[in-house]
Amino acid sequence: MTGLKTHKSRSFLTILGIVIGITAIILVMSIGQGAQDLILSQIQGLGSRTIVVIPGREPSGPSDIAQVFSDSLKEKDLNLISRKENVPNAEKIMPIVFGGESSAYGNETYRATVLGASADVFDVFDIYPAKGIPFSESDVRGRQAYAVIGSKVKTELFGESEAVGERIKIKEKNFRVIGILPKKGQVSFFNFDEIILVTYTVGQDSLFGIKYFHRFIISADTEENIPKVVEDLKITLRNSHGITDPEKDDFFVQTQADLALRIGTVTNILTLLLVSIAAISLVVGGIGIMNIMLVAVTERTREIGLRKALGAANRDILRQFLFEAVILTGIGGILGILIGALLAFGVSLILSKALGLSWTFSFPVFGAVIGFLVSGIIGLIFGIYPARKAAQKNPIDALRYE
Amino acid sequence: MNLIEVKNLEKIYENGENKTVALGGVSFSVEKGEFIAIMGPSGSGKSTLLHLLGFLDRQTAGTYKFDEKQIDEYSEDELAKIRNKKIGFVFQAFNLLARASVYENVKLPLFYSDIPEEEWDAKIKSAVEAVGMSNRLTHEPGELSGGEKQRAAIARSLVLAPEMILADEPTGNLDSKNSEAIIKLLDELNRKTGRTIILITHEESIAKYAQRFIRMMDGKIENDKKI
Repeated sequence: MTGLKTHKSRSFLTILGIVIGITAIILVMSIGQGAQDLILSQIQGLGSRTIVVIPGREPSGPSDIAQVFSDSLKEKDLNLISRKENVPNAEKIMPIVFGGESSAYGNETYRATVLGASADVFDVFDIYPAKGIPFSESDVRGRQAYAVIGSKVKTELFGESEAVGERIKIKEKNFRVIGILPKKGQVSFFNFDEIILVTYTVGQDSLFGIKYFHRFIISADTEENIPKVVEDLKITLRNSHGITDPEKDDFFVQTQADLALRIGTVTNILTLLLVSIAAISLVVGGIGIMNIMLVAVTERTREIGLRKALGAANRDILRQFLFEAVILTGIGGILGILIGALLAFGVSLILSKALGLSWTFSFPVFGAVIGFLVSGIIGLIFGIYPARKAAQKNPIDALRYE
Repeated sequence: MNLIEVKNLEKIYENGENKTVALGGVSFSVEKGEFIAIMGPSGSGKSTLLHLLGFLDRQTAGTYKFDEKQIDEYSEDELAKIRNKKIGFVFQAFNLLARASVYENVKLPLFYSDIPEEEWDAKIKSAVEAVGMSNRLTHEPGELSGGEKQRAAIARSLVLAPEMILADEPTGNLDSKNSEAIIKLLDELNRKTGRTIILITHEESIAKYAQRFIRMMDGKIENDKKI
């Protein structure tokens, strides 16, 4: 220990590699966990019985985005899956269309996400106007140009003044504001504060000018029936599209459980990747430790000789130098864990305060334990060579060393 | 009873083709309680002999019996144990740990002993007292004079009450006044506690305290006389 105390600044510089490595690992793990929690909580906002039908073939990987542009979900499909005999266990079936559009009231403009849906949208997302009223199924059929706007849209366009009953323009078309949503934030794919809800019929015709849907959102009557509903949906849609080979599906069905699993896998892989990059710096740090221990062994040759003369056996010397290496890296590990946790906490503050995400800071207990163990093990691995060198010194050569 | 019996002890350093004979066949014995001064010019093999006697090195040929047992019968670990228990070393350069107090320095051999930790404090304090350094317990070597450093080192060699003290020019770095104090201390240890002391010195004034002189030359004993 005296050796460590003698060279405080050198010891600190030596463990810097370990500190940085562990810091990076803790930071990455904490942020990875936070991101996963955030995404999962948003998915769960849709309800666990929710099933989503997405046009296009199922993407084979994260970079496969060909499916985004498909127009395979048509009105005919909606009618078919809405029939009880086709999908008996579907409780609600909601088609949606969406896109970014500019909205205006007087001189104020705001680029909102416009979501066209059926009247089930309020039940499905469990959000109801805080002021005014939702639109109804007959409004959908009657193609009423009604808009229910999110809280941020309201503030941006109207400020403090009354909005319900006013006319706004979306893509130069007139809509009447009939309701204002409470502050809700992100639910599933949508931030409901920045959204304008319209009927899907008007959305298709007047705003997006399309004859297809971007998604069908279906809720099963019970969780147990989810697989059955998924199967019924697939059969019905394949029949409708004349598909016999499931490999050639031009749509895919995603359950919330699937999605959670998939996103979990993606974030885990990303976290693992980043952690392994950070781990490289641990190896570099370990080599630094080995280097400094070798220097220390040479510098302290006389001390080693003296200790042997006073009765230290080889294993005593070995143990002393290994202990010093492990203490060094252990301290590095603890510092890294503290700094990493602090940084992760800072990041979570920024993300939740400045960006308004419902981000929760999570301290990666597992990561901390592993980080601490790994730093100790690095001390052992990279300390063993210098320590053996020290232990094998001939006492008399060591004592004579100048 | 003989504490040490040495027969035809040789130490040859081989460096490729070159052979250096540091010790070319030395025989003598030492009884318990003797105070021996080894003298001779540098390169005469006296330090090598002292190192062999102190188990810091192994001989190339010959036999060394310590306490009735051949040294070759001991393993490395056992040798470490004997160095720890039976032998106290005093060096010319003191060899104290720089950033440790006198107390910590004297404690050093105890780390490697099997003495229970609760007895350490008393042993350290009595060793330090025996060399008259009780008022310097918390001082670091940098704060001590040369004579005080060597006293601290002697306290360290005494802490485990060894049979034998081996001193390699213990007064070599000291002025005459301090040298005399140190040799008197060693002399007192020999007479009061009956400890065997073997010391190397260049100085007649130091050697005269011993009861036996071994004069060495070119790796051999030139002269061995008792008073």
